[in-house]
Amino acid sequence: MANVTKKVSWSSRDEGTGETTPLLNGAGKDSARYSRQFLNSSILGRLSAVVLDDQSNEDTETSCLKEIPHSEKLLSSKYESLDYDNSENQLFLEEERRMSSTEFRMLEISRWVVCALIGILTGLVACFIDIAVEQLAGVKYNVVKHSIDTFTEVGGLSISLILWAALNAAIVVVGSIAVAFFEPAAAGSGIPQIKCYLNGVKIPHVVRLKTLVIKVFGVISSVAGGLAVGKEGPMIHSGAVIAAGVSQGRSTSLKKDFKIFEYFRRDTEKRDFVSAGAAAGVSAAFGAPVGGVLFSLEEGASFWNQMLTWRIFFASMVSTFTLNFFLGIYHGKVGDLSNPGLINFGRFENEAMEYNIYEIPLFIFMGVMGGVLGAIFNTLNYWLTIFRIRYIHRPCLQVTEAVLVAAVTATVSFAMIYFSNDCQPLGENQAEYPLQLFCSDGEYNSMATAFFNTPEKSVRSLFHDPPGSYNPQTLGLFTLSYFLLAFWTYGLTVSAGVFIPSLLIGAAWGRLFGIFLASMTNGSIWADPGKYALIGAAAQLGGIVRMTLSLTVIMVEATGNVTYGLPIMLVLMTAKIIGDYFVEGLYDIHIKLQSVPFLHWEAPATSHALTAREVMSSPVTCFSRLEKVGNIVDVLSNAAMNNNGFPVVSEFSASAEPGRLCGLILRSQLIVLLKHKVFVERAHSSLIQRKLQMKDFRDAYPRFPPIQSIHVSQDERECMMDLSEFMNPTPYTVPQETSLPRVFKLFRALGLRHLVVVDEENRVVGLVTRKDLARYHLGKHGLEEMQISQT
Amino acid sequence: MREVVKFQFYEIKMCLLFIFGSAISLLFVEVSEGTTLETNLSLKGAEWVRNGVLRSLAKLEADDQSPFSLGQFSLGFLDELEVSNQCLELLHSFTIKCVSHVDCTLRHARPVRVCENCYQDFSNLQEIYRNISQESLVNVSCRDTLLRSDRLQVIVSVYEFLNGFWGKSECSRCLTKEDSISNDTLNFMNALNQSLDCFQKFQQTGNLSELCKQCKGNYSRLSELYSQMEKNFTLCIDIEDAMNMTRRLWSKNFNCSFPREETVPVIAVSSFMLFLPVIFYLSSFLHSKQKKRKLIPPKRAKSSNNLMNIQDK
Repeated sequence: MANVTKKVSWSSRDEGTGETTPLLNGAGKDSARYSRQFLNSSILGRLSAVVLDDQSNEDTETSCLKEIPHSEKLLSSKYESLDYDNSENQLFLEEERRMSSTEFRMLEISRWVVCALIGILTGLVACFIDIAVEQLAGVKYNVVKHSIDTFTEVGGLSISLILWAALNAAIVVVGSIAVAFFEPAAAGSGIPQIKCYLNGVKIPHVVRLKTLVIKVFGVISSVAGGLAVGKEGPMIHSGAVIAAGVSQGRSTSLKKDFKIFEYFRRDTEKRDFVSAGAAAGVSAAFGAPVGGVLFSLEEGASFWNQMLTWRIFFASMVSTFTLNFFLGIYHGKVGDLSNPGLINFGRFENEAMEYNIYEIPLFIFMGVMGGVLGAIFNTLNYWLTIFRIRYIHRPCLQVTEAVLVAAVTATVSFAMIYFSNDCQPLGENQAEYPLQLFCSDGEYNSMATAFFNTPEKSVRSLFHDPPGSYNPQTLGLFTLSYFLLAFWTYGLTVSAGVFIPSLLIGAAWGRLFGIFLASMTNGSIWADPGKYALIGAAAQLGGIVRMTLSLTVIMVEATGNVTYGLPIMLVLMTAKIIGDYFVEGLYDIHIKLQSVPFLHWEAPATSHALTAREVMSSPVTCFSRLEKVGNIVDVLSNAAMNNNGFPVVSEFSASAEPGRLCGLILRSQLIVLLKHKVFVERAHSSLIQRKLQMKDFRDAYPRFPPIQSIHVSQDERECMMDLSEFMNPTPYTVPQETSLPRVFKLFRALGLRHLVVVDEENRVVGLVTRKDLARYHLGKHGLEEMQISQT
Repeated sequence: MREVVKFQFYEIKMCLLFIFGSAISLLFVEVSEGTTLETNLSLKGAEWVRNGVLRSLAKLEADDQSPFSLGQFSLGFLDELEVSNQCLELLHSFTIKCVSHVDCTLRHARPVRVCENCYQDFSNLQEIYRNISQESLVNVSCRDTLLRSDRLQVIVSVYEFLNGFWGKSECSRCLTKEDSISNDTLNFMNALNQSLDCFQKFQQTGNLSELCKQCKGNYSRLSELYSQMEKNFTLCIDIEDAMNMTRRLWSKNFNCSFPREETVPVIAVSSFMLFLPVIFYLSSFLHSKQKKRKLIPPKRAKSSNNLMNIQDK
């Protein structure tokens, strides 16, 4: 019964620091206090507009008082949940009942058609990006190479340096402006956003057509602009947008409705397709169909079933082979389907690539290194991102920053190449743009293979160039400078992924490690640097992103050699364990810094003491079955009340007793109702008015108009609205004593958006939403609570 | 001992195969007893085969009951199956051509002048091999006896090695279709000789910087020719090697590569570039208004205590 909770503020700004008060002194007294509160609360819910306005004034006053700098311990109120749980109202049930089994079968078929379309379109987008980057980078590198070759002879190499920096900056500035000014949601790799989407958080603009266009454009410009980025992460986002668009059979942005797939216009169905799209994106990026499926599984696993998995696999396969087919055509081999992935690690099949049991400890050691380096990378990037959020938030500053990074990247690369003394003879598998500079004729600068190329190609040459192609000194310098550039670049306002830079850093130090081993053992055959480059790349990537299962499979598939499964798995495991000891994965850090209410797999470990009573929001605004339009409009347009679900209660008795729960209605539904003016009085007056259908709700989805755009006249305010037909009559409820982990499990497994807390007489006590759950997290001092901020 | 027995079994199998093959061709001949010349010819051949087959059949029958006794006279038996004189002659001339080609290749291994000097030898070799591998109608085909009768297939391997070697050298790119040295190659060799003459002339004076200046025209013409040929895929190993050697002379021996002499401007520009972000970050830190987050007080059952830290009991 020692149910005493210590109340300590974790924020020093808050008054009453360190004050401890007994919170719960005993069940009996406690419940009495609470019951009094619901009474208040439900009255509040019933109060007229005047009182509500008062409250909002109060709210704005208090919120003006508390302003804190941005930190990771915030949840933003701009993020809403997705309705992964269908609102089973009467309309919905009627429609479902009307559907015959043939129609359900047709639906199943159209799901497959949608998946095929997703695969094909994702493959095409990947193909477009690949070709565009290759062409653009080709032009750029040829121009710079020409300039360097000329100026080496006649002097004035600093002009080449300026030319290179200017070209980089010019290409990057275009993409950066597009992202910063037109669609900030397209920034970064997009993997955190898709993770959030599959988790059930609605990130504004994340699956729009405009985002896709800007994303594709941005990726091309940032990769061709020579930043330390890759185009693989954004492919996942692109695939997800394509999926969300195709499955709806219309484009809201283009105002074009094809009148197909109307059944899929809701969050539940869309989510399934988005996971298929993400998988198709992964599979196009790495040529790893199974890896793509597992990526979706790892990120959105709570909502899976066998058929969906099979469909997603189908979409992944289609996407890989669409890409292969079109790249085959591009490379002049029509009908060749063996050209997988945007990044292709090449085949690891020669004898030196075999590994032996005594190398396993070495691999594990490399995993440790990867974990440590990954943790350093993430920590540095974390501080930088906080600085960026606090100080570099204006679009023009963001563009300036991106341009500066592009110019500095070129400068660092140039300086590295210029001062490198590592000359290698031109071989058969020479670099694409060999730079000679001060090397003897017939030799090329080995640093230039790493820097003077797109990152994908550099990775491949680190994996496959024969031993002796790089000096240890070159590799060391390259690792260091690329590490700094990569952590600096990630988080800029450009579309770009972190996969390739991580692989490149890892491949460089892995190769260095291999060379070191070979020199220790007098050049024995087993210490082939290419093999260690691969393991190093896996370790570094694992240390940064901390993905497990899917990353292993992606790496194995990308190398096309299943015998590497074991070492790659061990390395990723070690890297994750070591890295997690210090700091979270890069994507999780960015999700936190975006203040997204993200629900992890489990409730925080020490949260069993909390019950639904402490977690829930209360008081709750409720509506009655027959509600006055004026009330609804007032509640909806109240800025301080931004909740989206409203419990519907039975009629209030005269004694102000709270009504019993009889359903739950969403803001979006209310808005559609108001828009169509479904008022009781209207129904009586005009008999010709047709009955509202599910279709009307679907047509408004997903961009429901804001309440301000709906005009309600003074007369109409006095009308009544009957909600019983539209509300969800069977919402999930929990009693007040339910523990937090149990509530959490319900939320996570069912993808809930609102969970009504009721007392023993089925009266509404409170409402649990995603933000109420996500704010608990395990900090340094035990369980901590995050605050909720505006925007 | 075991090995020998195994080998004999192998031989017997081969013999049986051969016999079956001959028997079938015999049947074929008997069915199409024609009047044309070819049939006559093949009849003659068949006669020969038939004799052989009959003889060997008889022997097989005699030994049918005791296969182990086969070893005693297998030598004589194999002798009779062995190569006809014509094939032996072919083999002999193949050996000679082979030796002369290998000799030529090795003699011109360093510096590589294989294509230029040995193409004649190689085309001879090719011709004789073509003769061997041709399907012969007149006689029992030497292709089978010489090339396919044993596991080792010495002739095939040797030829394939030499052929692959030739292919790797890309000599065909420097030769015309009629097997003579192409004009491009001759041009290049001319230019090469000019450069080398120039090198020699100035090397004797001992003034290397003078050499770099004076021979630069020749050398860059040579380089240009080379890169053009590279684009047209008319490079063979001779040219590549010659160019490599010349380049090494030019860069390493005479030290005519470009010196790294503009370090100062490059460092200046680089440090200016690196300095820009520092200014940018400093100025945005100092001048940009820090973005603050407005907090929304949570609506909780416990009205006032919104911030708390739940220490576990």
